[in-house]
Amino acid sequence: MPLWFVRGLRRGVVTTRYPARPDSSSAFLPTPPAFRPRQLTRETADRIVAACPSLALSRQGDELVFDVGACTACGRCAAAAPHAVTSSSEFELASTTRSALVKKIPILGDLR
Amino acid sequence: MNPGQDEADAARQLRETIAAQFGRSLHIRTLDTGSCAVCEQEIRLLTAPHYDLQRLGFFFTPAPRHADLLLVTGPMVRAFDVAARKTYEAMPGPKVVVATGACALGGVYPQDPFVHGQVSEVLPVDVWIPGCPPSPLALLQGLSVAVGRLTEKITGLTFTADDVSSGGAS
Repeated sequence: MPLWFVRGLRRGVVTTRYPARPDSSSAFLPTPPAFRPRQLTRETADRIVAACPSLALSRQGDELVFDVGACTACGRCAAAAPHAVTSSSEFELASTTRSALVKKIPILGDLR
Repeated sequence: MNPGQDEADAARQLRETIAAQFGRSLHIRTLDTGSCAVCEQEIRLLTAPHYDLQRLGFFFTPAPRHADLLLVTGPMVRAFDVAARKTYEAMPGPKVVVATGACALGGVYPQDPFVHGQVSEVLPVDVWIPGCPPSPLALLQGLSVAVGRLTEKITGLTFTADDVSSGGAS
């Protein structure tokens, strides 16, 4: 019996069980940002909109419009405003409607 | 009780079981419409031992005539219009179009003269998979959503975080 076969039996199964079970490597994936509405002011929002290279962010009045479909998870918004932006840790983002990928985040930092 | 009826019932049950167990295979044709090839790298990883796409009944095919699902990457270069339409028309129905990656969804090149900017301007897209590139796990989830094996999770997500862990004076 070839040696690689015995070695393979000893190492066990490497295939992930996803989607039936969660996959441990998903914790290391780059994911889109999540925003802290109370830390967001209009000024902060404008700064992270300017930092976004793929035009995924825009501000409409007191709402930050975040297009998850356009986001490349580069992390530049989190670098521009680390107190207001964090990682969402969500990688299961597939959608059957395009509009479901556009999220509106309220800007509550100016209310105080 | 009629024995013929019993046999017919058993045969129908067997057919349904076979359809449930084996009737779930689906063939994928990938279509690169000007992508930077990183999406393709992630798609190729799906057949690697760790992800093993075939265990879920998905297979890649080089011919659109054999394909049930069109996996489109890239920002839809205008020079590719005819080829994209021909590929779509060559597929037998019912067919599913999946737009893959931020370019295909309209993110990276929304206003470029040489590209449409998103796949949905040329082909009727059924499922959108965000990511730049979408990881093989994200692609697996997208394909599962496309065939109805998983329900989409995105509608319940708000992309807001709690304010507690912030260091600011709030």
